[in-house]
Amino acid sequence: MSEKTKELLGEEPEVVFAEKRYAFISEILPKVLKGKRPLTRSDLLDKALLNKYLGIPVFLALWWALFRFTFDVSGPLSDLIDMSFGSLGEVVGGAIANEQLASFLADGVIGGLGGVLVFLPPIFFLFFGLSILEDSGYLARAAFVVDRVLYKLGLHGKSFIPMLIGFGCNIPGIMAARTIDKEEDRILTILVNPLMSCSARLPVYVLIGGAVLGGYAVTGTFSMYILGVVLAVLMALLFRRVIPYFKGKPSPFILELPMYSTPTLRSSLTHMWERGVLFLKKAGTIILAGIIVVWFLSSYPWGAPLEETYLAMLGHIIEPIFRPLGFDWRGAVGLFFGFIAKEIVVGSFAVIFGLGEEAEMESIQQTIANQGIFTPVTGLAFMAFTLLYIPCIATIGVIYRETNSWKWTIFSVAYGLILAYVVAFAIVGIGGLLGFA
Amino acid sequence: MMPKIPLATLSENEEAVIVELWGGRGLVRRLSEMGFTYGTKIKMLHSSCPGPVLVSVRGSRIALGRGVAMKIIVNPEGGSWQ
Amino acid sequence: MAIRVAVIGNPNVGKTLIFNNLTGGRAHVGNWPGKTVEKKEGKCTHKGAEMRIIDLPGTYSLTANSIDELIARDFIVKEKPDVVIDIVDASNLERNLYLTMQLMELEANMVIALNKCDIANDLEYEIDINGLSELLGIPVIPTVATTKEGMKELEDAVLKAAREKGKKRMVKISYGKQLDELISKIEKVLQKDEELSMKYPTRWLAIKLLERDKEALEIMDKSSCKHEVVNQLLGTVG
Repeated sequence: MSEKTKELLGEEPEVVFAEKRYAFISEILPKVLKGKRPLTRSDLLDKALLNKYLGIPVFLALWWALFRFTFDVSGPLSDLIDMSFGSLGEVVGGAIANEQLASFLADGVIGGLGGVLVFLPPIFFLFFGLSILEDSGYLARAAFVVDRVLYKLGLHGKSFIPMLIGFGCNIPGIMAARTIDKEEDRILTILVNPLMSCSARLPVYVLIGGAVLGGYAVTGTFSMYILGVVLAVLMALLFRRVIPYFKGKPSPFILELPMYSTPTLRSSLTHMWERGVLFLKKAGTIILAGIIVVWFLSSYPWGAPLEETYLAMLGHIIEPIFRPLGFDWRGAVGLFFGFIAKEIVVGSFAVIFGLGEEAEMESIQQTIANQGIFTPVTGLAFMAFTLLYIPCIATIGVIYRETNSWKWTIFSVAYGLILAYVVAFAIVGIGGLLGFA
Repeated sequence: MMPKIPLATLSENEEAVIVELWGGRGLVRRLSEMGFTYGTKIKMLHSSCPGPVLVSVRGSRIALGRGVAMKIIVNPEGGSWQ
Repeated sequence: MAIRVAVIGNPNVGKTLIFNNLTGGRAHVGNWPGKTVEKKEGKCTHKGAEMRIIDLPGTYSLTANSIDELIARDFIVKEKPDVVIDIVDASNLERNLYLTMQLMELEANMVIALNKCDIANDLEYEIDINGLSELLGIPVIPTVATTKEGMKELEDAVLKAAREKGKKRMVKISYGKQLDELISKIEKVLQKDEELSMKYPTRWLAIKLLERDKEALEIMDKSSCKHEVVNQLLGTVG
């Protein structure tokens, strides 16, 4: 029947009907529309922003500005929240007689809530900034500019914006994948997003890198970012080739560029609020639960020193897995904490080394160096592991929400762990071969 | 003989008329629905060779990836076209 | 009984803003069942009538090229909302009307919100709103979502459209003599299957069949008049 239709209509049926609809529109239009589109400010702006040479620098500058804005402005707010909840915890803890209950409320619940809310300022500000970029119309231009670079890699512009956001935080990055039409491309982008090194991982790099890499600490940190991007591209290409679901070409790049417009405060705030609240509901509950679990594991058996708590036991149980990588039980526990949320890793190391939670970065670094907890090679491996395995439980929650599938969620966690292990192992192996202890 | 060249090869500010659409059913359908139909006037606004192009079609401005732009075949307006 | 209103339009036409204007910014956000696409629903009360507003994904057409289009189309075909607000960007009229055409084929009970009139003005476009409305057979309400201009009139129009749901004032699109005849013939055959004609607008189904739409073909496969349709087509060749 299909063939007959084609014969009848003389050409592809889909095209014929599209043409006829536009023909009808062309008939009506002159009767109701007068005026020709003049050269607008939008057009002139585009001449500059899409320019071969200006395009990318402007793009990079805007992104840099976005991240600076987000983290500089939200930093003090996060600290404020951190301190407030810390004080609140102390007050509540002091007021309750039962030691265990006091600790549960103060360190577990209040600490947990604080741990979640401390994320809010950066998330809200990031979303706010993104809304402005989106509403102004610039985001479409960004996709255009980036496509030029990605085209050679077989990827396209729309998938890169979520990646870029991921450098701030993978959660909005994954949510940003919604702009991609084809579900396969959307899921692929989501799977690869965690490889973009989010800002919460930075303190871990700084801590370990500073402790064992000496003069190469900055290089080491920077290389983590590069490693993430390279692996993201490789994984995307690999998945496309190997997983049947993703086989087939990426969707063709067709994107309408809307006119530039001044974003209204109202709409940007609305977007920011919507997405921020979503994060709070989905990720927040998971992080809170996670922190309470950690509290439990590190507090029981009640009264025991740190090395004898359930947490340490857990660390010792999983230690064998990590021994080939050169991490001891304390590194294993650090990774476990990192699984909950990267933001708590540094603090957890402070606790594990017996320095108390509020210890300064430097003293933790010194402890690491003095006790040889990590060597330059294993330290680098640890950084790589941190980069590559799941960013945090909250991310898992968001991945599930965005893909609506346990299959993909589990897959993303699994391949992250495997990749992390393989790369860390490779680093240790190569380091050994090259003669670094 | 009507000259036929891929849209991707138009220079900036050049105008043309669409004469053919290559590619799979899905792509052709999608392009038609976005307004890229036979006989439609199209203007090249921005070409970042190699890379995506920005064109004006039916009053809207649409960015097309290089691959897509190579599959839209046009007849550049030589001046004698009304 | 709340009036069910679906909101649809191209990406970038200001749909989110209009949706927020209508629902007062309070919306329930979830997912379309089994899909990863966001679904927003809200309430709007106007002149004592209660409306349930559903935000459909922004889309350029309803041909099931992508999940967004599938969701939007499915909702209109299967849920049969009482009113569909088609948001059209006044500064980009030509292309925006393509979706309008498809909605007309679906015989949705439409109201057009002609948004961004301020921008169209700046671009020195003059739009004959009454003329447009007459030519399409659909009420057209000019709006400027950013300043909330036209919102009251839009709500009025929606209520009116809901009341007048049965009346078919919408214009039928002509596809040229040959196609129009073919569509009519197939439509007549389809109407013989009562179950089918109750579920789907027959003219729309006929058009979709000719377009080789996957879903339409599947629907017809299960229908009793399948063979007749094929015969109709075969008979017309030559």
